[in-house]
Amino acid sequence: MEENQNPVYKDKAYGQYRELSYSYQEGGKFEKTVGFHGEADRLILQQAWDLFHERIEDARQRVLAGKVSPVVYYMEKNLLDPLNLSMMAGISVWRVKWHFKPGVFKRLNDKTLQKYATAFNINIDELKNVE
Amino acid sequence: METTKTIIDYTHRQAGHCESGATSNLFKFNGLELSEPMAFGIGNGLYFSYIPFLKIQFAPMISFRNLPNTVFKRSTVYMGIDATVIKKIKDPKEAMEMLDRNLEQGIPTGCQVGVFQLTFFPPEYRMHYNMHNLVVFGKEGNMYHISDTVMEFPQLLTYEDLVRVRYAKGAFAPQGKMYWINHAIDKPIDLKPAIIMGIKKTVNEMIGIPFPLIGVKGLRWMARDIKKWPKKHGNDKASFYLGQILRMAEDFGTGGAGFRYIYGAFLKEAGELFNNHPELLEASDMMGRTANKWREFTYIGARNCKNRSKPEEDYGTLSEKLIEIANDEELVYKKLKKIKF
Repeated sequence: MEENQNPVYKDKAYGQYRELSYSYQEGGKFEKTVGFHGEADRLILQQAWDLFHERIEDARQRVLAGKVSPVVYYMEKNLLDPLNLSMMAGISVWRVKWHFKPGVFKRLNDKTLQKYATAFNINIDELKNVE
Repeated sequence: METTKTIIDYTHRQAGHCESGATSNLFKFNGLELSEPMAFGIGNGLYFSYIPFLKIQFAPMISFRNLPNTVFKRSTVYMGIDATVIKKIKDPKEAMEMLDRNLEQGIPTGCQVGVFQLTFFPPEYRMHYNMHNLVVFGKEGNMYHISDTVMEFPQLLTYEDLVRVRYAKGAFAPQGKMYWINHAIDKPIDLKPAIIMGIKKTVNEMIGIPFPLIGVKGLRWMARDIKKWPKKHGNDKASFYLGQILRMAEDFGTGGAGFRYIYGAFLKEAGELFNNHPELLEASDMMGRTANKWREFTYIGARNCKNRSKPEEDYGTLSEKLIEIANDEELVYKKLKKIKF
């Protein structure tokens, strides 16, 4: 159970940076320290990323199974919800949700696709194909 | 294409909070030595709001900070420093040209940016958060020199990336907001009136606003809500929501405990400036102890997040702890309100 006692990020790229934080000792002394995250901080960050990765993987499986359109996968990958995506792409929430259907997505024109592609910072070919 | 190179001699100092750090560094560049807590306190960084019906990253929105750019704007206004804030620039190209012109004139310029596509930022923080601040202090061909106070060292960013983060979309979109101090501060500045104004404003924002979701009242409301979460949303979601509170309080560049440490440090510095004002120093001590309670709350909460199926500590305990914190904080603000300078 060593892993549980000293949790580290599953992703190696995380937790590489040192940050400045303050602390207080009784008697009126505020101190600045530069260091890596403590255990509690890492736990709660890891919890969030676990959930995000879970959602992304879930969305990927559903896209591959043909249940939803690739928009859902890229939306989850960019940590968005329909409301935020509609703000970023400039398409109304109702239309965004309508485009979640694979059949509807196939019939979209290039102009709408380009709006999504710009919001996700990818090109149209990538948008159409999820691997 | 010719490569132009303009780099301003700008000292990068790491700080706990992005905006007050940037403000403090900009003051330093213009010849006024002002620590980060001081900038934070005078500029009313401290705040609390809880907005359960607005979701950010799938959890209720909780904010421990004021609206973007409050710290810079208020601190310059209260201290009587000539500064420019441009709220909104429609055309990205024009915004970048303005930035270039500023750099040529030797003015380091602060920008509000979105974090999600900021390439040098620690990957674990890359969420949709549009209230980050950084200072641009140099240009070399296509690269910009960036001082981001969350990072230990200055960073580089390409033109395209800078445009993308300055025009990030979503809630609180930056829309190319930029700010700078117009000229060097040559006359000595009396900090005392600015500190008094800053404290009064913060006290008013924390206990004076008659709206239940802001300030100490918001904290109590959230404490009552925490108790209901497991029944209402199930254990998994409740623990994620709890995690969101803790993330907002501890990570995301707050210097720890949702800015309470920084504010305590500000009160202490202010007290020393007012010839060891006993009440200010006492308030600072109280604030420091409250901040330590926030830390404890984080530890308990994080343990709760870890074993979410069978929470070690009940949500009821957490809620009580939070109410205790709210009471303590209210005492501090009430004390500050009564102080006669």
